[in-house]
Amino acid sequence: MSNPRSSIHRKLSYVVLAATFFALVITGTAMAFYDLRTFRETLIADLTAQADILGLAAAPALEFRDPESAQDYLALLEAKPNIIGAAIYAANGNLFASYPADKAADFPAIPDLDGHRVAGGTIGLFKRIATRHEILGTVYINARYDMLARLLGYLGIIGGVMALSLLTALGVSRKLQQSVTQPIAAITTVARHVMEKREFTQRAEKTTDDEIGLLVDAFNGMLGEIDHRTQILEQSNRDLEREVSERNRAETALRASDNRLRSLNAELEERVAARTAELQAANKDLEAFSYSVSHDLRAPIRAIMGFSTLLLEDHGPALDTEARRKLNVVMAEAGRMGHLIDDLLAFSRLGRKALDPTELDMQQLARTAFERLGQAGQGAGVDFRLGSLPRAKGDRSLFEQIWMNLVSNAIKFSANKESPVVEVGGITAEHEHVYFVRDNGAGFDPAYRDRLFGVFQRLHHDHEFPGTGVGLALVHRIVTRHGGRVWADGEVDRGATFHFTVPKETPDGGV
Amino acid sequence: MEEFEQVDILLVEDNPHDAELTIRGLSNQKLANNITWVKDGAEALDYVFRRNAYAGRSDNGPRLILLDLKMPRVNGIEVTRAVKSDERTKRIPIVIMTSSKEESDIIESYNLGANSYIVKPLDFESLAEVARQAGFYWLAINRVVS
Repeated sequence: MSNPRSSIHRKLSYVVLAATFFALVITGTAMAFYDLRTFRETLIADLTAQADILGLAAAPALEFRDPESAQDYLALLEAKPNIIGAAIYAANGNLFASYPADKAADFPAIPDLDGHRVAGGTIGLFKRIATRHEILGTVYINARYDMLARLLGYLGIIGGVMALSLLTALGVSRKLQQSVTQPIAAITTVARHVMEKREFTQRAEKTTDDEIGLLVDAFNGMLGEIDHRTQILEQSNRDLEREVSERNRAETALRASDNRLRSLNAELEERVAARTAELQAANKDLEAFSYSVSHDLRAPIRAIMGFSTLLLEDHGPALDTEARRKLNVVMAEAGRMGHLIDDLLAFSRLGRKALDPTELDMQQLARTAFERLGQAGQGAGVDFRLGSLPRAKGDRSLFEQIWMNLVSNAIKFSANKESPVVEVGGITAEHEHVYFVRDNGAGFDPAYRDRLFGVFQRLHHDHEFPGTGVGLALVHRIVTRHGGRVWADGEVDRGATFHFTVPKETPDGGV
Repeated sequence: MEEFEQVDILLVEDNPHDAELTIRGLSNQKLANNITWVKDGAEALDYVFRRNAYAGRSDNGPRLILLDLKMPRVNGIEVTRAVKSDERTKRIPIVIMTSSKEESDIIESYNLGANSYIVKPLDFESLAEVARQAGFYWLAINRVVS
């Protein structure tokens, strides 16, 4: 790559030198041409004047046929070194006198007409010598006409001038260049620095107010703009890098927490699996237990009752009244134990039964419960007031059980009243249906309301109101399994109200 | 065949008291002469398929099996499966008489081909009545079929 600085430097020198050179050549040529012409014309005029003077001077000599005096006049030409030779011809054309006298043979034999002839570096000029009346003769002058020498001399002068001029021009251009190329060189230096180092903070120094100054301004402005943009770019680059690193960090953290979560999850799943296995084992034990109870506990009771019956049948007459009463107590208690076991097993089965939720007409279920109880001989004389009940979603057989238990409870505990009333109603709240069964019967002590729904928990003595204490526990369990609540209000001898709720829609879509 | 050789009912029951009560309930209905009582499922299968102790029995039947579920050695479910899957015996009606109200027992019994499932009532009168009705019903049906 050529040095841009030397390149522009050299070009400028060439321009200056070429301009000077051509100007000098053209001027020199014109001057030489003019000078050579002037020289010739001056020479001819000079020679013509010499010839005239010679003619005037030699006229008497010709008139008087005195060649010697003519010869003297011609000899005066010695003072003129450029004149090689001269001659005077008589009117008849014969050579009359000559200069130099001994070189007569070198002259033309006869005079020519007026005029000049250039030949072989000399110029020959003829001039008539005439008075007013006659032609006396002719003067001939032969002079040196050294054009080449004059031209060479001229060229020498022009060459010298040219050399001097070119040197001057070179010096001037040097000086000039400094003012032109230096600012450019400064820009170039800065530009190169910027290119190599990528440092856009550099500025070129402005030294002139001309176009180069403008260029420096533009260059500096451009650098400033680039610097500004570079800074913005670098800033945004830094921002991006920071963002990327932050993201990487976040990702790493996320991955770590993800791993942690996964291991926690796995641990949790293991624990759930372990617990599920434990629960399944426990459930299996429970099933085996209740299966065993179901079979084995009932058999002895059946034997007690059966053989008591056989005793009465086969040996009744041999027993007295008291013996028969005692035997009847045994049978009744065995029967009660059987019921307890049956209820307990029903309660246990409920915990394991899978729910089968369907749309339920609760009013119909309540009415059916009351009617079935009536068929079994309960509820005669009871004022059964059935309001409109909202429909709900639940397991049909289990809700049949609920209505059966609640309505039969209400009938049982209001049976001793003169005009027993059992009222069933329901409303729909925001998220659930609320149902109640109210009676005007024996009620209960509100202090013990929490015990109402416990298994085998009873608030009345068996001789007042028979029961196993499982019915309400079943209700509680069924309602809870459907996602509802159950509670009771009441006072002793002022009746009781049992409430239960069923969610409108359970979160898992089932119950 | 001789009428007295006919065994009408095979009672499979491990509890002797339950067996006695059941037989008593049936005997009140004059069915006791035709009852054979075996004490568990293994003996019941020996009897039905004339194996081991019962290899040489010459009587026919039974025409009805009253079967308890929970018994030592071979339980009622297994007896039902064996009887109902054999071409020679699968038409003998089986009435399950058990204490269990477990749904799984009921479902499995019916799935295996049991004809009735009766939960033994606690009191003797009900037990006797149930046994009598089951016996009559299924014996009558079986006579019609054969």
